[in-house]
Amino acid sequence: MTTVRTADREAAEDVFFGQVVIIWARWFLIVAGAVLALWTTHDSTALAVAVLPIVALMAMNFYLHGRYLMERPSNRTQITAASVLDLALITALVILWHDDRAVGNGLANPFFIFYYPVLLAFAFVVPRRLTLLYTGLVVGIYAAACLPYLHGVVDAKVLALRLVTLAAMGGLGTFYWRIQRDRRRGR
Amino acid sequence: MTTLTGRADARTDLDHGQIVIVTARWIMIAIGLVLSIFYPTGTVGELRLQVALILLLGIANFYLHAQLLRRKPIPVWVAYLASAADLLVISILLLPQGGFDSYRYVLYFPALLALSVAFEPAVTAVYAGAAIVVYGAIAVLTAPVPADDLPIVVCRLLMLAAIAFCGVVYWRIEQERRLGRTGKDQT
Repeated sequence: MTTVRTADREAAEDVFFGQVVIIWARWFLIVAGAVLALWTTHDSTALAVAVLPIVALMAMNFYLHGRYLMERPSNRTQITAASVLDLALITALVILWHDDRAVGNGLANPFFIFYYPVLLAFAFVVPRRLTLLYTGLVVGIYAAACLPYLHGVVDAKVLALRLVTLAAMGGLGTFYWRIQRDRRRGR
Repeated sequence: MTTLTGRADARTDLDHGQIVIVTARWIMIAIGLVLSIFYPTGTVGELRLQVALILLLGIANFYLHAQLLRRKPIPVWVAYLASAADLLVISILLLPQGGFDSYRYVLYFPALLALSVAFEPAVTAVYAGAAIVVYGAIAVLTAPVPADDLPIVVCRLLMLAAIAFCGVVYWRIEQERRLGRTGKDQT
């Protein structure tokens, strides 16, 4: 009984202290999104549309960071919901954002890299099972977003490398999370 | 005295983080080798160089892994040298594929993640900074249309920085937790 309570308390502390990593990862995402929107849009309507999700993400992150600084941090459900929203926004960017110059859809979209810090930060904070679920979700959704755009073996190699490195971020993050938990327990 | 304790703590951090670096390197070696050998797209000379570099990395990693399995500490300079070699090999592997156009730059992500949780923040900053400068130079100099490709390069560099930064923030949080100081000065 005591062990269960200690493990629960430890998991709650992981979320309490660690969620700032997720918040910082999201700030990087917001900066990159702002760079992308301001730099690559060529008409005012496109810029206005591109800025809206960034503003929404900023508002959410201000709220979460503010709560953290006031020592009233979010719980696991809230940070999971926010991380799923990050995932949805990045996936929408990968599927929908394209121009007639350097950016294509799906596999040709270069902004899949936004998944990496989000996935890593999540893996540092939540227990292993939830991390594996989230990592699987990211890998599955990204693979599904790219499959219609695969044209040959080289594309398949590109996709394989991206999927393996994405899975590695979740795997290595949760591996280190476990090492730290064992260190705190004195093992 | 405090300095001695700090050094001992850094040494312990390195010992615990080494297994993450070694695991990340095995992942990079495996995927790098499979992608190089399977359906090669370059010349024989390029493939020879790629395979030789990856095998060398594999031999070095086997030695480091063996040290960990025998519970023998890896000298700090060897750990630093091995991580520098990781970043160097990834940078070299990008060049035959055109630098900016190479899909292999995603290998930087697990490499930076692993060293950011194993090394002290100052060391991580040096390695991450060097990787960002080197990759930034490679990407900018080899971009087919620099004006259009620059936002993509900036986003890639921001995400590399995000990975290292998240690793450092998490490293500091865990250090504070182990030392019993749970204030949020890392924000």
